[in-house]
Amino acid sequence: MAQQDFSKKKALLIEDMAEARIMQRKMLTDFGFTSIDIAMKAETAIDLLRSRSFDVILSDYNLGNGKDGQQLLEEVRHSRLIPHTATYLMVTAETSIEMVMGAIEYQPDGYITKPFSQAVLQRRLGKLLETKERLYKVNVALDSNNFEEAISAAKQVMEKYPSLIGKCERVIGESLLEIKEYKKALSLFNKTLKSRKMPWALFGKAKSYFYMGELEKAEKNFRQLMLDNRFFVSAYDWLAKIQIAQDKPEEAQATLVEAIGRSPKNILRQMELGKISLSMNDPLTAEMAYRRAVFLAKYSCYNTAEVYLKHLESLARISDSESLLPRQKDNFDSTLKKIHESFFDDPDIKAKTYSYEIDVYIAGKDPLTAKQIFEAWLSEVQSGGATAPTKEQSALYNKAFGG
Amino acid sequence: MKKMNISTILASAIHESKNQVGTLLYQLQGLKESTGSNDPNQNKIVLIEESLKKLNDEWVEYLYLYRLASDGYNLHVDTFLIDEFLDDQVFALQPSATAKKLQLDYACDTSLTGTFDERLMTAVVGTAVYNALRFAESRIIIRAEQEEAFLVISIEDDGKGFMLEDDQADDLFEANTGLGLYFAELSASAHVVNNLSGFIKKDTSIALGGASLKVYLPQSIKD
Repeated sequence: MAQQDFSKKKALLIEDMAEARIMQRKMLTDFGFTSIDIAMKAETAIDLLRSRSFDVILSDYNLGNGKDGQQLLEEVRHSRLIPHTATYLMVTAETSIEMVMGAIEYQPDGYITKPFSQAVLQRRLGKLLETKERLYKVNVALDSNNFEEAISAAKQVMEKYPSLIGKCERVIGESLLEIKEYKKALSLFNKTLKSRKMPWALFGKAKSYFYMGELEKAEKNFRQLMLDNRFFVSAYDWLAKIQIAQDKPEEAQATLVEAIGRSPKNILRQMELGKISLSMNDPLTAEMAYRRAVFLAKYSCYNTAEVYLKHLESLARISDSESLLPRQKDNFDSTLKKIHESFFDDPDIKAKTYSYEIDVYIAGKDPLTAKQIFEAWLSEVQSGGATAPTKEQSALYNKAFGG
Repeated sequence: MKKMNISTILASAIHESKNQVGTLLYQLQGLKESTGSNDPNQNKIVLIEESLKKLNDEWVEYLYLYRLASDGYNLHVDTFLIDEFLDDQVFALQPSATAKKLQLDYACDTSLTGTFDERLMTAVVGTAVYNALRFAESRIIIRAEQEEAFLVISIEDDGKGFMLEDDQADDLFEANTGLGLYFAELSASAHVVNNLSGFIKKDTSIALGGASLKVYLPQSIKD
């Protein structure tokens, strides 16, 4: 293996323990890295990844109290904060390995187990960067959503470097799913499974069936994945999708509750549970899910207005049947405050926020406050700051204020 | 307080201690760099480093052993180019062999691939090589080949071989040899393909004349 030149690569080191951080930074400097940014926790890392680009990310799995390294990876890959061309190396301890391996969808490019020597880290990084170079065209195509190009590039790489066949087949299969060539994807995943029982191939097979509308076959394969690896919680999310498609929301809700029991920190899963629960008129479960989502959103890439609005909505729906308990009202006010701080410049968001507030005050038998809020809303509509209430809303409110 | 399972307690105790070994290793690396390579203490530092590394690897082995024996281990198989896998193993274990003035190499067909749990097999090969380090006269070879439906990884040395070692089984100080074999056996048998389980075999090395530990891992037959 040729000695890699690291001097032009930009590295991000994410590690919460001071000792390891100093050590690893020194190792990277010794290999020739000249640009090394440091983050002590996931939130800082996200900020750094938002503001600049990196070639190499070395992240510990265990990052103290906040998000762990795997959640960080999932978020930044899902929201495309890091391109496919960047190399992500996860530092793990023996006990965290299984948790990491349970993530079939978002895997780092490599793992390294603590403690490691400088020589081992240098060699691992060198190999990973070499692989990235070989897959460069494939990854550039993936980054620009050009899946046809990714497929043809992967086929060329596979031919030239047989050891990369697994990685290339995976890219081809997943790209075929992206361009909706489900039958072709299925036959490719089946072909892989014939010679190697790879979890990603089984996952791909299950997804192919799902998109082809063969829900029972899809369910069977997702359940197999759950059996094979109890840490693969994403299979539950897909199972819930199937149950929704089969019009069994109660089962989908139960599936998601179980998944959350296993992996409570996934904000998208909490949002999904909230959505399903609202749709089946279970605002209590919805509120719990959205409240957690609000908590998780703060340090997340998914810090959007929707999370907060949905939390207010679920509380408003609870108040439809009985007025809010003091604790619930506190939650409402706290989330309301966060919307005011961060998202109150959008007319639609303003309108929705006002409507939930009015609902809650009407239910709390405080029509005076509700009326004041309604008047504030209407004056904002005048100045163009907020979307106008619907006719139904106005009628409903006026009736409540009058009565 | 609820009574806990003693093996669970031991496993978490090992985990805690292992973290400390990691810290010690980091500290030692700093010390090693601050003393010049001609410093008379350099040899001692290398010796301590190798011992700590071995201790760390042994504790990793025990943790896996605990999980395998308590059915808490999920196998994670992937397909590897064996040439690369063995190169990694030799790279990681080379300093230990050098410290004992032993030669460590590997041999396999460069196109050979195999499907197995990399971490587990890294621990198995490591355990076997550490064991061979105690018995080898001058060399150790890690060899891999395909034998029908099995990938066979053998760790061979030019020591006195398994027969003589068995005669010394009464020696309590060497009793941990059995644990290593048990670990290799559990790891091999955790690999199952088409109802075919992995296993191990104690043999004599044809090339080197000493012991040969063979680990058989079942493979899907490719089209």
